[in-house]
Amino acid sequence: MSLITNTEDFLEQTGKISRFAGHFFSHGIKPRFEIKELLSQCYLIGYKSFPLVGLTGFIMGLVLTMQLRPSLVSYGVQSELPVMVGIAIVREIGPVITALIFAGKIGSSIGAELGSMKVTEQIDAMEVSGTNPYKYLVATRVVATTLMLPILTLLGDAISLFGAYIGVNISSVTSLRFFFTQVFQSLTYSDIVPAVIKTLFFGFAVGIIGCYKGFNSTKGTQGVGISANSAVVLSSVLIFIIDLLTVQLTNLIGLN
Amino acid sequence: MAKQGENNIKLGLFVLAGLLVLMVAFYMIGKNRNIFGSDFELKARFSSLNGLMEGNNVLFSGIQAGTVKSIEMVNDTTIEVTLQIDSKVKSFIHKNALAAIGTEGLMGNKVVNIQPVKAASFSVSNGDMLTAQKLISTEEMLQTLSKTNNNIASISEALKATVLRLDSSAIFDILNDKTIGPSLKSSLGNINKASKNASDMTMGLNELVTQIKQGKGAAGLLLTDTAFAGNLKQAITKLKSASDNANKLTLQANMIMTSVNHDMNDGHGTLHALLKDSLIARKISISLDNVMKGTDGFNQNMEALKHNFFFKGYFKDLEKKKQANKALPVQ
Repeated sequence: MSLITNTEDFLEQTGKISRFAGHFFSHGIKPRFEIKELLSQCYLIGYKSFPLVGLTGFIMGLVLTMQLRPSLVSYGVQSELPVMVGIAIVREIGPVITALIFAGKIGSSIGAELGSMKVTEQIDAMEVSGTNPYKYLVATRVVATTLMLPILTLLGDAISLFGAYIGVNISSVTSLRFFFTQVFQSLTYSDIVPAVIKTLFFGFAVGIIGCYKGFNSTKGTQGVGISANSAVVLSSVLIFIIDLLTVQLTNLIGLN
Repeated sequence: MAKQGENNIKLGLFVLAGLLVLMVAFYMIGKNRNIFGSDFELKARFSSLNGLMEGNNVLFSGIQAGTVKSIEMVNDTTIEVTLQIDSKVKSFIHKNALAAIGTEGLMGNKVVNIQPVKAASFSVSNGDMLTAQKLISTEEMLQTLSKTNNNIASISEALKATVLRLDSSAIFDILNDKTIGPSLKSSLGNINKASKNASDMTMGLNELVTQIKQGKGAAGLLLTDTAFAGNLKQAITKLKSASDNANKLTLQANMIMTSVNHDMNDGHGTLHALLKDSLIARKISISLDNVMKGTDGFNQNMEALKHNFFFKGYFKDLEKKKQANKALPVQ
């Protein structure tokens, strides 16, 4: 009985999210645009997240290099370390780690912000005052996350590669120039372009889930916490699902 | 509102930084793939690509010079590869350069190596076809190696058997014997001496031969003097005639002897009487007895004469003369 309820719940949730996302495309990206709100959201979502993403990216690059080194040494190919780390960071680690951090920071904040606005009936008030709350609150945030995550990912990748450079230099010596030559020697557009495109979807997923959960939070202040929490969990899971779909799709196209 | 503007500037910086990273990344990859900058095309036809793919690097004398642009099957044994080459190296690649498919490192990606040939030639132009050089693939190399390994295995087997046989044979004892060294050394010394002697001898012989050639010595005369040969021939002829005469003489002597023999046997002549007649021998013996008796008588007569006073003086004088001769030694 509970399984059926759960399944029904799950399907209902999926349908509602899909409808919510469809509403974004049908109503959200139509004039008039809330440019000012969008820019301030971009600032909050993108710029303010940069230190966190930079720090995690740097540590990730450093740790990944140090972790990969012993196994490469055992094969006698430690000189290929920059190549391997570069591909790993640009293709997978950079986008996914950045997106997960982003989901943790931004997904929860959007969920909590919109949730508290919903429970305190600010959204209803906004609607009454003639402002389209969907456009003003949801569309700006979703567009901001969609556009900011790729930029955060690119910067995070760069910092991560610098961390990897330091990681390589801990146990051997290489010049920064040679390190980046080696990294880019092995990279192709088919490594970078899908990675950038998928972060657009990651950002969209984080924004849309955060907004949905916030917009649909109930049960007072308790519900705010629930919506913030579930926004993070669901968007993280969605990030992995989208990642899987992307890699299958790029394989299908033959870009891999 | 001022806060908002400041935030927007920060946001702008952030976005630009992100886009800059993207552009740099695109440029770095594009530089490696020769997408930016001017370039030209070269072509080469191979029978097998060994896994070469579009986008693989092209090296000219080991320097990154471009990428593989396209791969096209011409027929079942020919594959045409179009190479996109940086125009910076255009003036250095000549028309007779060789294109070969190689590997980056031992296990790395495939590359096309363009190697210059020393012979003079014009620089390439866009779309030129380069001569392909067939390189030995790793598989072929391994196959050859496998053959070599088999050969080495059989050779080592045979060597092992030989060594085992050697180990048990007398040669090994000889090799092991430490006294052989010095004795071999002394033998060699002897051989050295002998060869020295032989050399001396040869030199002597050489000298002799030279002398003979020059006609010195008996042999030289014999071998070189033509007049001597004539003389010798004459002498031999004379010897021959002498021996002929001797032969005749012998024949005559033979005839004489035959006749003598005949006479002797038939009982004619003095010889026969002397040699064969026993009667005569006795007669001679008797005659000789009588002669002896006669001589004895004569002796007695002579003794008697000595003592006869008519003749005594004569004999005494004779005696005196004899003694005087003995006393006076001959001067």
